Amino acid sequence: MSLTQTSERARRRDYRIPLGILLFSVALAAPFIGSRYVVHALIIALVFMLPAHGLNLLVGYTGLLSLAQAAFFGIGAYTAGLLAIGYGTPFYVNAVVAGLAAGAVALPLGVPALRLRSTSFVMCTLGFVIIGQAIAKNWISVTRGDMGLSGIPKPYFELGPLSFTVGGTTGFYYLALAIGILATLAVFAVVRSPAGRNMVAIRENETLAESLGVPTWHYKLIVFMLSAVFAGVGGSLYAHYLTVVSPLTFQMYYSTTMLIIVLGGGAGMISGTIFGSLLFVGLTEALRITPELRMIAYGLCLLVLVFWFKQGFAPVINRVWNAIGGAK
Amino acid sequence: MVSTLIEQIVNGIVTGSVYAIVAVGMTMIFGVLRAINFAHGEYYMLGTFGAWFAIDYLGLSYEASIVVGILSTIVIAYVVGQLVMRRMVGAPAESGVLATLGIALVLQNTVILVFGGGYKFFSGGYIEPVSILGFSLAEQRVLILVVCLLVFIGLELMVTHSRMGKAMRAVSQNVECCEVVGIDVPQVVLRTFILGAALAALSGVLTAPVNVSVYGGMGELITFKTLPIIIMGGLGNVRGTFFAAMILGIAESLVATYVGLQYRDTVGFATLILMLMWRPHGLFSTQARF
Amino acid sequence: MTHTLTRRMLCLSTALLTVAALAPGLAGEAKADEAPIKLGIVAPMSGPNARYGAFSMHGAELAVKEINDAGGVNGHKIELYNADSQGTPVEGVSATRRLIDQDEVDFVIGDVSSSVTLAMQPVAEDAGVLLLNAASSNPKITYGAGVGGFKWTYRNYPTDENRAYVVAKYAAEERGFTKFAVLSVDSDYGRSAIEFTKKYLPEFKGEILSEDYYKEGEVDFRSVLAKIRDGGAQAIIMYGLADTTPIIARQMVELGLAGKVTLVGNGEFNTEKTIASAPTALEGAVEAAAWLPAWDSPESKAFVEKFTTTYNEAPNNHAYVHWDTVNLLAAAVREAGSVEREAVRDALSKIKYKSPVGEVTFDDHNQARLPMILLQIEDGKPSIKGAFTADIQYPAN
Repeated sequence: MSLTQTSERARRRDYRIPLGILLFSVALAAPFIGSRYVVHALIIALVFMLPAHGLNLLVGYTGLLSLAQAAFFGIGAYTAGLLAIGYGTPFYVNAVVAGLAAGAVALPLGVPALRLRSTSFVMCTLGFVIIGQAIAKNWISVTRGDMGLSGIPKPYFELGPLSFTVGGTTGFYYLALAIGILATLAVFAVVRSPAGRNMVAIRENETLAESLGVPTWHYKLIVFMLSAVFAGVGGSLYAHYLTVVSPLTFQMYYSTTMLIIVLGGGAGMISGTIFGSLLFVGLTEALRITPELRMIAYGLCLLVLVFWFKQGFAPVINRVWNAIGGAK
Repeated sequence: MVSTLIEQIVNGIVTGSVYAIVAVGMTMIFGVLRAINFAHGEYYMLGTFGAWFAIDYLGLSYEASIVVGILSTIVIAYVVGQLVMRRMVGAPAESGVLATLGIALVLQNTVILVFGGGYKFFSGGYIEPVSILGFSLAEQRVLILVVCLLVFIGLELMVTHSRMGKAMRAVSQNVECCEVVGIDVPQVVLRTFILGAALAALSGVLTAPVNVSVYGGMGELITFKTLPIIIMGGLGNVRGTFFAAMILGIAESLVATYVGLQYRDTVGFATLILMLMWRPHGLFSTQARF
Repeated sequence: MTHTLTRRMLCLSTALLTVAALAPGLAGEAKADEAPIKLGIVAPMSGPNARYGAFSMHGAELAVKEINDAGGVNGHKIELYNADSQGTPVEGVSATRRLIDQDEVDFVIGDVSSSVTLAMQPVAEDAGVLLLNAASSNPKITYGAGVGGFKWTYRNYPTDENRAYVVAKYAAEERGFTKFAVLSVDSDYGRSAIEFTKKYLPEFKGEILSEDYYKEGEVDFRSVLAKIRDGGAQAIIMYGLADTTPIIARQMVELGLAGKVTLVGNGEFNTEKTIASAPTALEGAVEAAAWLPAWDSPESKAFVEKFTTTYNEAPNNHAYVHWDTVNLLAAAVREAGSVEREAVRDALSKIKYKSPVGEVTFDDHNQARLPMILLQIEDGKPSIKGAFTADIQYPAN
C-alpha cells in the first residue's frame, strides 16, 4: 500500500478537467439517460458509498480493518426511521441525528476495541454487529423487534417558508447524489488536512508515528467515530429509500459489502471508494442475468480481485487518469 | 436445582465438543497462514453433505458415510488449498478475509446449485437415548464426546512430536526463518489446511444424526460460533481452543436455560468482548501475538 | 503482467457481455399468438434462505408449465422471470426494480421474507404493478394494503392471527391443556404468532410458563427442553421452521419428553419425513397449516405427484402457495378477460377462486380469506380435524 504519487513530468494535453466535467454532467443527467432501474442501482451505490467512505478512512488511511460498519449503518437506519415515523422530523434532522447517534455509540465501543491487536480487533468489531442484531430483535418496545420498522415516510424538507417532499426515484437520486458529494468533499478535507497525514503515518508505522509525537490513540478513536458517523448518515438514506428497517440490517453481509467496496476500489484512495461502490453494484446487478450462478460468480470475482488486483482497481484508474492528463 | 445445573453443564460440554473439533482446525490454519478462515464452516457442511449423499444415493451405512464425507471434503480442500490457500502466505489480513469469503460463497452456492436449496433429512447414526449418571443422552453425543477427546490427544501428540507438527509450529512462529532452513512453507500450509478441513468435516458427520437437517447454508452458522472460540483460546493455540470451546458451550447452555434461548447466539461474541477487555491477549497465552 | 491480464479480462468481459446481450434476443424468437403475460418471481435464491426460494420457484414453474401446456390463459402464455432477493430488503427492491423496468413484467409474486415484501410494496405501488404475496405472514403487509394504503398489494397467504386462534382454541378445548411453554422461531413469524396466542390464551384459561425463541439454524435444544420438562408444561407452543421440527422432536425423545409434552402450533409436523424422525414425540401433535401434502383433494394430490416426479422431492408449503398463487393469477386474468393490470386487479378483488383447500376471496385490505386446516397426528399419520376461516380484525388507523 504505497502512497499515490502525482507525476511531475511534463504533460502534453490535459483532458482531465473536461472529462471531470463530463462525468459530473453524466451523474447529473443520469435520471434522464438511464431507466429507473439504472437510477435505482445508482442510488444503492450512493447509499453504500457513505459507509464505505467511512471505512476507507479507517482501513485505507489509518490501517484498521473493521467489520463494525453494518452496526453503525443499522444504528443510523433505526435512528432515522424512528425519528421519521415517531416525530415526522425533516430529512436533514434525521440524517444528522442518525450520524451523531452512530458516532456517539462508537465512542464507548471504540475505547476498549482499539486497544486490541489486528485479528482480535476484527473479531471484536464483528461482535458489535452480532450483538447489535440481538438488541434490535429483543428491545421490542423501541425497535418493534422482528416486525421491524416499516412505512418510513419519504424524506421531507423544511427550509424557512419552503417545505417539500422528495418523492420518486429521480428525486431521491438527486438527494443521494448531493449527500454523496458532500460526504466525498468531507473525506477529501480530512485526508488533505495535517490530520490525514498523521493517519497515514499511523497506518505505515504506528510505533514510529507515536515516537514522532502523533497522539495515535486519539487519532484512532476519532477516526473510528468519524467512520461511524458516515455509516450512520448512510443508514438514514437507506431507511428513507427502502422504507423498511429490520434487525437484519445488522448483518455481516453489509459489513463485508462495504469492505469489498473499499478494497475493490483501492484502499486509501477517495476515487477508489467511489469507483468501488459503482463497481460493486454494477457487478451484483449484472450477475442477475444468471440467478442460479450469481453468488458463485460473485465469489469467484472476489478471488480474482484478491489475487490479480491486490491494490484494488485504484492503480488501473490512476494510470488511465494520468494518461488522460497527458503524462507518459 | 443442582441436578438441573449439572445436566446443563453436561449439555454444554457436548455442544462444546462439536465446536472444539471445528475450531481447532480453524485455529491451526490461522497459525500457519495468519488468516481468519471465514469459509471454515463450509467444510463442516461439505462433510455432512458427503455423508448424506453416501447414505441416500449410494445406500451406504453410517460408518461408511463418515469415511465418504471426510474423503470428499479432503479432495475439495486439496483443490481449494492448491488454488487459493497456498497463495495466501504472507498476504495482508484483508486479502484473507475477502478470499475466504469468496470461497465460502462459491462452496455454499455450488452445493445449493447441485443438490437444490431444500433441506435434506439425515437418516443415519445412533440416536437412541442412553442414561448416564441419571441424564438422558443420545448415544451419538457420547460418541462425539469420546471422538473430541481422542482428536485433541492426537493433535497434542502430533504438534509436539511429529515432524509435520514441528513444521507447523515453526511456520506459525516465523515464515521467513522457515524458508531459510528449508521448510516448504506452502506445503505445510496446504497440509494444515487439509487437516483442518477434514476435522471440520468429521465434526459435521458426527453431529449430523443429532442435528438431522442438512442444507447448504448450515456452514455459516458454525463459522460464526467458532470465530469467538479461536480468539478466546489464543490464536493458533490447540489446548486453549479446547478449553475456550468448553467454556462457550457451557455458557451458551446456561444462558439458554436461565436467560432465554434467543440470546444464545450472542453469548459467543459477548463473552469474547468481555474477555478481551480483561485479557486482550486471550485466555491462554501470556502475550498478545496477533 | 497486469497489462496483459487487464486486456485479456477486457476481451473476456466484452465477449461475455455480447453473449448476454444476444441471449434474450435469441430466446425471444418463439412467439405466442397473443401477447404473453409477463410474471416476475422474487424469491431468495442464494444465501442462507435459498432453501425457501428453491421450493417457491419450482412451485411457480410447475404452475406456469401446466397452464402453458393447456394453451395458456385465454390464449396468453405466461412468461416467467425470476430474480434473487437473497432475503434482504435491498436486494429484494433491486430485484423488483429490475423485473419491472428491464423485464417489463406486469405482475410480481414475492417474497418469502416479510421485511423484503414490505420494502417491495411501495415499489410496486409506484409502478402500478400487481404485487401478489404468497408466503409472508407479517400482519402489517395487509394492514397497509387495500383500504390501508397500497392498492396494488394482495396477499394469498394467511396471517398469523387466525392460525394462533385456531390452535389455542383446539389445544385448550379439545385437549384440555392449560400449561404451555413457548418455543418458537425468532423471526417476525414466530414472534407475532406468539403475540396473537397471548391475546387469545386467557379466553381459554391457558397460561404460559416459559418463553423462548430460537434463531434460524439453531440445532441444540437440550437446555431449553430440559427447562420445559422441569417446568411442568403440558404442551409446547411452537411456531417454527420446518427444518427445525425434526431436530426438536428428536431431542424431545432424547430428554424423555416424548409422549409427555405435546407440540402444538405450526412447522410441518405432518410430513412423513418429520414424523419418521421421531414418531413418539410427534404423536398427538396439533398443527394449523395453510396446506399439507396429505390434504385430500384431487387437485392437491395431483400437484404433489407432479411436483415429486418433476423435481425428485416432495413439495413443501412454500412450493404449494406459489403454485396456487400462479393459478390464482391465471384465474383473475380469465375472469378479467384481459391482461391489463387494472382489469386483473379489479377481477382479483371480486374473485371467488376455487383453490384446492377451499374458496378464496379477498377482503377490503386485499387479504385472502383462507381456510386454516387443523390436524392432529394420530398413529403416525395426520388426521384432519377441520378447516376454519375467520375474518381479520384490522386495527383502527
